[in-house]
Amino acid sequence: MTLPHREADVTLPKPARKDPHVDLEKLDAAADLMAINMGPQHPSTHGVMRIKLWLDGEMIVKAVPYCGYLHRGVEKLCERLTVVQLTPIVDKHDYVSPMTNEQALNIAFERMLGLEVPRRARYMRTIIAEIQRIASHLLWLGTFTLDIGGTIGGGASLMMYTFREREAILDVFEMLTGARFHYNTHTVGGQRHDVPVGWPAAVKKMIDAVDAHMPEYEQQCYGNDVLVLRTKGVGVIDRELALELGLSGPNLRASGVDLDLRRDEPFSAYDEIKVNVAVATDGDVYARFDVRMREMHESIRIVRELIDSIPEGPICSQKPVKVPFAVKLPAGRQFYTAIETPRGELGTYVIGGGAEKGAAPYRLKFRPPSLHAMSALPYALVGHTVPDVVAILGSLDPILGEVDR
Amino acid sequence: MMSPLPAPVRAALAARWPEVFPAEGDLDPNGPLVPADSHYDLAALLKEHGYLLYVTVVATHFPTPEGDTFEVATVLRNPSTGKAFWWRCKLGADPVIATLFPLFAGADWQEREQFDLVGVRFAGHPDLRRLMLPEDWEGHPLRKSYAIDTPHAPWR
Amino acid sequence: MAVDESERNFEHPLYHYWENMPGGGIGMTSLDRLLMHSARHSLWFFPMATSCCAIEFMTAAASRVDMDQVGTIIRPTPRHCDVMVVAGTITVKMAPRVKKLWDQMPEPKWGIAMGSCAICGDFYRDIYSVVPGVDTIIPIDVYIPGCPPNADQVMVGLQRLQEKIAAQLAGKTIDKDPRPPNMIYPAIGTHGDARQTEATATGQLEASRNLGYGGQEHRVPVAPPKPPAGDAT
Repeated sequence: MTLPHREADVTLPKPARKDPHVDLEKLDAAADLMAINMGPQHPSTHGVMRIKLWLDGEMIVKAVPYCGYLHRGVEKLCERLTVVQLTPIVDKHDYVSPMTNEQALNIAFERMLGLEVPRRARYMRTIIAEIQRIASHLLWLGTFTLDIGGTIGGGASLMMYTFREREAILDVFEMLTGARFHYNTHTVGGQRHDVPVGWPAAVKKMIDAVDAHMPEYEQQCYGNDVLVLRTKGVGVIDRELALELGLSGPNLRASGVDLDLRRDEPFSAYDEIKVNVAVATDGDVYARFDVRMREMHESIRIVRELIDSIPEGPICSQKPVKVPFAVKLPAGRQFYTAIETPRGELGTYVIGGGAEKGAAPYRLKFRPPSLHAMSALPYALVGHTVPDVVAILGSLDPILGEVDR
Repeated sequence: MMSPLPAPVRAALAARWPEVFPAEGDLDPNGPLVPADSHYDLAALLKEHGYLLYVTVVATHFPTPEGDTFEVATVLRNPSTGKAFWWRCKLGADPVIATLFPLFAGADWQEREQFDLVGVRFAGHPDLRRLMLPEDWEGHPLRKSYAIDTPHAPWR
Repeated sequence: MAVDESERNFEHPLYHYWENMPGGGIGMTSLDRLLMHSARHSLWFFPMATSCCAIEFMTAAASRVDMDQVGTIIRPTPRHCDVMVVAGTITVKMAPRVKKLWDQMPEPKWGIAMGSCAICGDFYRDIYSVVPGVDTIIPIDVYIPGCPPNADQVMVGLQRLQEKIAAQLAGKTIDKDPRPPNMIYPAIGTHGDARQTEATATGQLEASRNLGYGGQEHRVPVAPPKPPAGDAT
């Protein structure tokens, strides 16, 4: 009982680039436009953001997103705190995947100082990052289908299922670090918490449970005609625009760019394993959805591959830090480095030699993938209807803590 | 990390800016320092040579006894090799630099953010407004002269 | 005062006529008690969910903890809701919206501050753009400390709120819960802002502490129903 999908009868539109700064006075229909506001307190914006939409009937003529409702001045705070104190701060950026934030920051400092990371710690980081990717994509899947509302129970049932698996993942992290949410487990030179007894077995049990439920999700999503009809051909971002905007991660790969820093600029233990990169070419909401679903399978495979082969040895190449001034950054050194998080390229631009005799960075700039994803909205929304806004926004998966910092 | 530029790109850069990009030897590991008036041309040349992915722009305030100076670092990435490259431009007390918006649409928001927080202006930007802070905010928080706990009545 | 107080609280027009009817006050009191009794067992939550705590709040509503079992429903509009849960950092840009949404909620209403950012600003409390605690803007009845609090702690906070409502129904005066220890007000203007003298800093802090309360430090108890006076027969 499948309905004809849109792909069968319509070719995907390839819209010409529209200038998002279009002056409404110049539009013919300007007199009849209606302006509406979504947010900053809107249930489907995943945080506090606001989009101002100008509508011609039901069609969006112009969209202007506003952010900054969660601007916490972290970059200013980072200039006051030392390198060792920064890890728990960056947990709060992308609060759906705190582990990869810590990893990005500490890898930046390690590369700047030229520190070795023991092989055991690198394996642990890779496993943690992949588990975190599954958790992050699960939360995205639950909220995305809830927004679209196409699955059983208006989408709420799938969200309940994904939160069930996410809880299992958080339990595994709690076993490792003692915290459920903000972990503070990475440190400069390695890890803070060693693998506890029974952790690999717990991870394998959790991964098996997630893997066993994946067909259920896929059946609910791929086999759901409402979801497919609402996502195919909607919110197309072509390859050229995606590159220019600086999209990254699944959003970029859905537009046909085969770029994944896990493979192209390996960090942690990714140089020892093979990463199969999921790429789609359509650049629409469905492609971004499809890429994320395939990435979850790949993450499950990587965790299974690594969990049995964690090497023995130390977990940190540095002595345990007693004072916050132990690690100093060289003055006058500047550095950009990035890793691949569930949302894409999380970059860190560090300038060394700040306060506390160099123990604090002079300037720390994060390159948040979500901010670039959000800047695609003025291009992707134009020409669509209001219900498509939540689908497009959900498919770009911005986390506002990371956008605003 | 700064990875070595491919030979054709290196040759093209050396032909255009021989004092910044010598034909042989390593480049400055902190990012080559390019004259501010070559900022746009360098970005355009790199885009022609495959650096298509706009990564980020970072502005930094350096107060000196002689007066304020600023640095603007721009990062681009080549999607086919996955390697990043960045360069820096030094600016004076009244920081103005050319926008990269005509080349990279993503520069729109990134440059607005740096204008908002650091106060570097981007000439030719179509819509240079504050991005993070309210429109009526005074000052630029990431300048070193800005106190971290500046009050903002009546909310804090 | 930061917020335009001309936007009054929602009040049902029926209340006005009822109050002016002879003997209507008794009915009003009974109605108040009925409303609060019902609200206690069916608290509808308005999530002012800004950052990390929002995810744990979602977890509290999701399958494992399941907040719905005590009759709560999360509604995205303030006009349906009894409780505002402030989950996350409130910034200067967001604060007017929080105040406005709180004003739009109908009485009786309660406030919960979830997580250390909402309670005191946490380690962002010194920063130029962060409000040092949401209780400087709206009255808060229950504090749930943690960064973020676990989902089951949210349930504990919910039970604490129900206890307070029960006490209020029984005619007791409920004092405002204190902020948890160590979650202090910041000393604004101590890190070298040239524009700020010590006197203005103190005044600023006082103003921000008292913002939004209008001098009312505690909840007013609900009056118990009185027997009808002046029997005609």
